Amino acid sequence: MSFPKKPGSKALDVLQNLPRISLANLRPEPGAKKTAPRRGRGQHGGNRSGRGHKGQRQRGNRPRLGFEGGQTPFYLAIPKYGFNEGHSRRPQYQPLSLKRLQYLIDLGRVDTTQPIDLTQLVNARGVTIQPLKRDYGVQLVDEGEDIFAAKIHIEVQRASEGAIAAIERNGGVITTSFYDPISLGIVIKPVPFFLRGQPIPKRMLPGQDMVPYYTDAGNRGYLADCEKIQQARLALAQKYGYILPDISKDELYHMLSMRKDVRQIFFGLAPGWVVNMSEKKILKPTDEKLLKYYSS
Amino acid sequence: MAAPVLCGRTAVLCRTLRGISSSNPCGLLLQTASYNPRPLRLNLSDPYIPDKESDETPAWQKTARYDGKLYGRYGSASGVDPASLWPSHEQLDRVVAEEREWQPTLEEMLRNIELKEKEEAEKRQAKERLIAANMAKMPKMVADWRREKRETKQKLKEDKARREQLLEEARVRFGYALDPRSPKFLEMVAEVEKEEKKKKKLMKRRLKDEQTAAPVTTPADVS
Repeated sequence: MSFPKKPGSKALDVLQNLPRISLANLRPEPGAKKTAPRRGRGQHGGNRSGRGHKGQRQRGNRPRLGFEGGQTPFYLAIPKYGFNEGHSRRPQYQPLSLKRLQYLIDLGRVDTTQPIDLTQLVNARGVTIQPLKRDYGVQLVDEGEDIFAAKIHIEVQRASEGAIAAIERNGGVITTSFYDPISLGIVIKPVPFFLRGQPIPKRMLPGQDMVPYYTDAGNRGYLADCEKIQQARLALAQKYGYILPDISKDELYHMLSMRKDVRQIFFGLAPGWVVNMSEKKILKPTDEKLLKYYSS
Repeated sequence: MAAPVLCGRTAVLCRTLRGISSSNPCGLLLQTASYNPRPLRLNLSDPYIPDKESDETPAWQKTARYDGKLYGRYGSASGVDPASLWPSHEQLDRVVAEEREWQPTLEEMLRNIELKEKEEAEKRQAKERLIAANMAKMPKMVADWRREKRETKQKLKEDKARREQLLEEARVRFGYALDPRSPKFLEMVAEVEKEEKKKKKLMKRRLKDEQTAAPVTTPADVS
């Protein structure tokens, strides 16, 4: 060219002048797609087409899975025992491994400068929760605790001890809290809830079976004492062999110490408020009875 | 319709992102990738607000719940009184009563849990106490049982020996092996028993005499 060009800008120019990527410009890498062999064609695929010689196999008349030719099959001979009794009534928690959480953080899908809530995880499409299928939230699983290295403030519904240790080792804060099914539906899809025009309900307390779990400091339950949680943090650090970083000296201490109230569903929104999306307004009740109910 | 490249909500998001990255002291670009929020097609320019008086509007569009949805979508343009979004006093009373019945307070639940745990602990301890008591009795019971067994064995042996002895005596007396069930044998047995009784009586009397004689003589000696 006549005029001098900036060094290293040829690639950028090429990139800028190339046409837009579309399906017409894309093609798989040679050798990536291997066509599957077709049955019933050619010397090897033809003749009996991989079905064998005569009988039920070739004629496609084999009996159902588990049938043992008339002998009482295994799945009927073994007597029943209540392993699966009431399985459809048991609460389920979608697992979230630390490996996946680190992946989401690395890709920037989850913002670590703000508290990570179930809403944030669902927005980042990190987990999929189905409240109608007896899902009660998300549980943190220790897979990937050795590679986890992010300081976060996370709130889940259940967490294993290894996961708690991994998060606290990196200077983060973890809390386990309970969302009843209605609150869960609201938390995972806040916008459709706001469009319903209903006041934000208060979160219900866990059932009697789950109260021991959420009042235990070892599980970092949201109903537990703060001092006991601090002691549990120290104990866990001793157990797993790491030095507990001091959060109060952290620059993000204010964010890490943010905690939701027991009855609160969203940060910054109290129960009883109505959020209007079209006018971007929040309406708060003024009646004392309502205020008393929503703050109880 | 010429849709803007960045709809309102994504623009806000980008502004906040830029704000965060500019406030970042390290100087590293905070790369964040988020899913664009779904476009909220509220249809504010052409809202459908059903006519409450008309008979043609279906019944479900005249309910309070639908009013809430109208307000949620259109805001004050829907003409719905926002005060109706909250429960009335009667509804609130009902809700409070229901909650009082079905949702116990945290203190109540903790108390119930404590009670249950105490009960379970009490049951367990009672069982353990019972087991401990029974285990403490075990050596004695074992010794008793062993003694019983020994005694029965011994008795059997003795009986057998006695029977053999009697048979021998009968044989000696009558000269041939006598059947133990025959009357002769039984007579002989009765005789032998009588003799033994007499001997025992004599022994008892002798012992008594010795005892009475012994204390009489000793005080006499002393005095």
